[in-house]
Amino acid sequence: MDYLTLLWLVPLVGMGVVLLAPKSFSRLISLVATGVTLLLSLMIWNAFDSSVAGHQLGVDVEWIPQFNIRYLVGVDGLSLALILLTAVIAIIGVVASWNIGAETHREGTEKAYFAMYLLLVSGMFGFFVALDLILFYLFFELTLLPMYFLIGVWGGPRREYAAIKFFLYTLFGSVFMLVAILALYFQSGAAGARTFSIPELAAMDLPVQIVNWLWFGFYLGFAIKVPVFPFHTWLPDAHVEAPTPISVILAGVLLKMGTYGLVRVNVQTLGNAGEHWWTFLAVMGVVNILYGSFCAMAQRDLKKLVAYSSVGHMGFVLLAIAARTPEGINGAIFQMVSHGLLSGMLFLVVGVIYVRAHHRYIVYPEDEAELEMYHIDQSKAGRLGFGGLATSMPVYTGVMTIAFFGSLGLPGMSGFIGEALSLMGAWRVYPTLTVLAAVGILVGAAYFLWTIQRMFLGEKNPEWAELPDINARELIALVPLAALVIILGVMPSLATDLSKASVHGLEVVQDMIAKFANL
Amino acid sequence: MTPELTYRLCLTLSAVLFAVGVAGVLIRRNAIVIFMCIELMLNAANLAFVTFSRHLGVLNGQAVVFFVMAVAAAEVAVGLAIIVTVFRTRASVNVDELKLLRR
Amino acid sequence: MTPLDNLSSLQHYIPDAALASFAVLIVIVDLFARGRSKVVVGVLSIAALAVAGALTLWMPHTGERLFYGMARQDGLAQTFKLVIVGCAAVTLLVSLRTQEVAERLRGEFFALMLFATYGMFLMVSASNLLIAYLGVELASISSYILAGFLANQSRSSEAAFKYVIYGSVASGVMLFGVSLLYGMAGTTDIALMGERLASAHPLALTIAVVFLFAGVGYKIASVPFHMWSPDVYEGSPLPVTAFLSVASKAAGFGLTLRIFRDGLGAEELLASVDWPLFLALLSAVTMTVGNLAAMGQKNVKRLLAYSSIAHGGYLLMGIAALGSSDSSAPTAAILFYLAVYLFMNLGAFFVVMHLAEPSRLGSEEMPAYRGLIRRSPALAIVMSVFLFSLIGLPPFAGFWGKLYLFKSVVDASLVEGGVNGHNFVWLVLLAMANSAISLYYYFAVVKAMLLDRGEEETPVKAHPAFALVLLILFLPTLLLGFFTNVDDFRVDEAPEASASIMAEE
Repeated sequence: MDYLTLLWLVPLVGMGVVLLAPKSFSRLISLVATGVTLLLSLMIWNAFDSSVAGHQLGVDVEWIPQFNIRYLVGVDGLSLALILLTAVIAIIGVVASWNIGAETHREGTEKAYFAMYLLLVSGMFGFFVALDLILFYLFFELTLLPMYFLIGVWGGPRREYAAIKFFLYTLFGSVFMLVAILALYFQSGAAGARTFSIPELAAMDLPVQIVNWLWFGFYLGFAIKVPVFPFHTWLPDAHVEAPTPISVILAGVLLKMGTYGLVRVNVQTLGNAGEHWWTFLAVMGVVNILYGSFCAMAQRDLKKLVAYSSVGHMGFVLLAIAARTPEGINGAIFQMVSHGLLSGMLFLVVGVIYVRAHHRYIVYPEDEAELEMYHIDQSKAGRLGFGGLATSMPVYTGVMTIAFFGSLGLPGMSGFIGEALSLMGAWRVYPTLTVLAAVGILVGAAYFLWTIQRMFLGEKNPEWAELPDINARELIALVPLAALVIILGVMPSLATDLSKASVHGLEVVQDMIAKFANL
Repeated sequence: MTPELTYRLCLTLSAVLFAVGVAGVLIRRNAIVIFMCIELMLNAANLAFVTFSRHLGVLNGQAVVFFVMAVAAAEVAVGLAIIVTVFRTRASVNVDELKLLRR
Repeated sequence: MTPLDNLSSLQHYIPDAALASFAVLIVIVDLFARGRSKVVVGVLSIAALAVAGALTLWMPHTGERLFYGMARQDGLAQTFKLVIVGCAAVTLLVSLRTQEVAERLRGEFFALMLFATYGMFLMVSASNLLIAYLGVELASISSYILAGFLANQSRSSEAAFKYVIYGSVASGVMLFGVSLLYGMAGTTDIALMGERLASAHPLALTIAVVFLFAGVGYKIASVPFHMWSPDVYEGSPLPVTAFLSVASKAAGFGLTLRIFRDGLGAEELLASVDWPLFLALLSAVTMTVGNLAAMGQKNVKRLLAYSSIAHGGYLLMGIAALGSSDSSAPTAAILFYLAVYLFMNLGAFFVVMHLAEPSRLGSEEMPAYRGLIRRSPALAIVMSVFLFSLIGLPPFAGFWGKLYLFKSVVDASLVEGGVNGHNFVWLVLLAMANSAISLYYYFAVVKAMLLDRGEEETPVKAHPAFALVLLILFLPTLLLGFFTNVDDFRVDEAPEASASIMAEE
């Protein structure tokens, strides 16, 4: 069987094995299954020829012939980096879930947890390799149900609300996406043969008027997933309630499904949409950057801060995609990978402190209900939650600093490259917006540095003076991510070389190159 | 009376019978009376069948009527039996008093 | 194809004849087995359905016109019959040990079920409105009794009462419509009628068609003939409810399909009676009313009852699309949807029925379902899958059913001329919006089962025999979309009207 099919099949089979095997083996089986997928993705990387533009290692089998629905999978420069990212995050998620039953006070539910987890992994891989829109949609939806249960069952106090909100928001968007998929299918009949195949649709010349409508339909589906302002409200809720490993998956991979979808469908297939839509996308990107960053600054809850910083960082991806320049799309993909690694780290780091202190307030809240939820003394409202942790948890502080500095865009780490490439790509097309986006970087630096100062430096809070430092298992999860962040920061060509040829092969990117060459 | 006139009169009668039947079903509240009105509707159809059959000069319409009469008898038998069971538990056959199942 | 005479028809009518004879046989056996074990009656009934199902499956259905053109044994009838007989068989299996029906009365219960099944067979194979009427009446009269089978329970007799009133009025109106059509066409043969009606007065024709639709509309619980269904579904014994919500609906759609495709599908007729638009509007109202009414329900059985009205609305969309030049694609989509609906809806109803037994939850109310995942993980998950499929979430079978149905309607709208000049894409969009509404109430059940914490923690065990039946329904719901598709449900084209002329001479 080919690599790409195995990629989503292995986790699915793993899920079956988890369900049949005794409970105590669940996590081991999951580790093996995600390990195999990591190996598979490395083999795909090895077999991949980065100098070719189109998709490779593809499989194209008729599935439902009379509608021309095909089992069409393939990998190109746009998806390979994300497949590798998914493989890394998936295995790290398993490591982080090692004691999930005890950590979420739901002992004995490991079997169900890991079954859902592997189903989610299968859906994510399938989404990134699918090149037939029906297949694409199926895998998109397949991630929805396990995520709903993973948040709704293993989440925090308000888990049900958060899970339902996540589910309804995403489903609302996907209904528009389905309508757009079907419309695209029927429209392709007028321009040739009816097809769901993305490469074939990309090669067609569809009338701009209809493309504009379809563009917006797909945009709604993906924007909710990213999430783009004003659809972002599910994200902080979902992150705050989700258990740590699920937050890692959510921020590390699931959000990328939205931006990847924008590249795959809106750029590759509907690239000839009107200029106003691209400007709209760029404006939304900048709104995301500024809104996310300022909201992050106002948070008392460390996890919420990280969640809003994700909203901000995804804004760079949107802005870069909207520019459609080669640097822009390359930068967008790089930023997706970089943010996947960094946000994974950030949520793990938050998880570490939460397991020890059972709360994660930088500053204690003033709201009575919230204080009660976390069993915090009324008299401490509004006071510092942590302080001077650097002396009691030196290793932890070191890891956290890497994650924070990476995220705020320190040169030498992947975050810098991602943001720099994105802004470079956007500069030629939207200079004003790019300047505004750069302001977002400053705000980002401000809140990350401020948080470091309040939590790790300064006066020691006696209440949390005796917390044990980070343990070996947590380090196993964090160190590979930290290493990748630094490696990509020093050698960005590792990732950009993969996508270069495919990005240059995009029709709309070639149009942009031609446009700027004439100037 | 010419055959044409008879034809028209019979059809009109059929339509009137049907209208009376429908009106009765809608207005009356006693289950037995409602059933009688349903019988009126069926017989309006029967009359129409016979009239058309004679007018068109084919026999198949007349045959239909026999079937309808048999079916109507079966329907009434079952209907009355059900009304009896309702009466046993409720001591009433007023349709307005059947409110056990929520609307 | 030339209509066959009575004697040579019989060999093609073996499946239906077998079913009818078995039903009579069971009444007789039941008479002598009174007071003794009723196992033999149950076995006989299952055997009857198995024989009828197997014969239907294996006999070639090549479109013979039987009994001088009264019925047709074609692929359409075959597929509908399989859905109906499948539903009846599963319902019978489940009711073999239901506590709702008294041991003493099981024989009659099974016999009535077989008669109802035979009536539905008549409905879906009718090519003459007289047979259609007889089929509707046979199925209805048997169902009236089934609905009121718990004679000592006032809920059940009230359900039967409402059913019999609504049903008799609807069939009376239908019969009057048939008589008007007969007057205009001089025949009750469906295909022949279509040919002869072209010159009829448009207004008279429209009135007759609307009257005719009352009869089938009540069978498929289309607005405005839907009022009986939630009450009847709630009050009837649960096996009957499941049977009515699937088999009765399927039979109704079989007949509707025949009437509109074979009888009223001709272009000249479409010009005078715009039934595609009429049905599209009804479909829009039906699905919306069903979904909105289901939204406020706290009783799971009633919720499923209202939602089945909505599903009828989706299917009506397919009937409306029959008015286009290619009627075979919507037909296949309707058949596929009904096949899927059979598994997912029966499954959901049976889980509700099983849980309602006093030894388990003892209730059909939503609060009783809270925390079911901790009490019976298997039942909770299986029920969730049935509900997901009913919503139409991929990758479950319900998604494919909706996809094919929606696609066939869009296809029909986009061809030159559309559906009788109309574009029904708005209807598909409305149906999608309705699916999103349905998400809300189906999900409330899932949420109660999986996320909420209930007061009780005692485990709930499913009966092994029941678990097996549930598995039979569960696997297709999960996988049907991957192993078969709408093309396997393509059946023969509409018959030529001229073939019917023989019937008259």
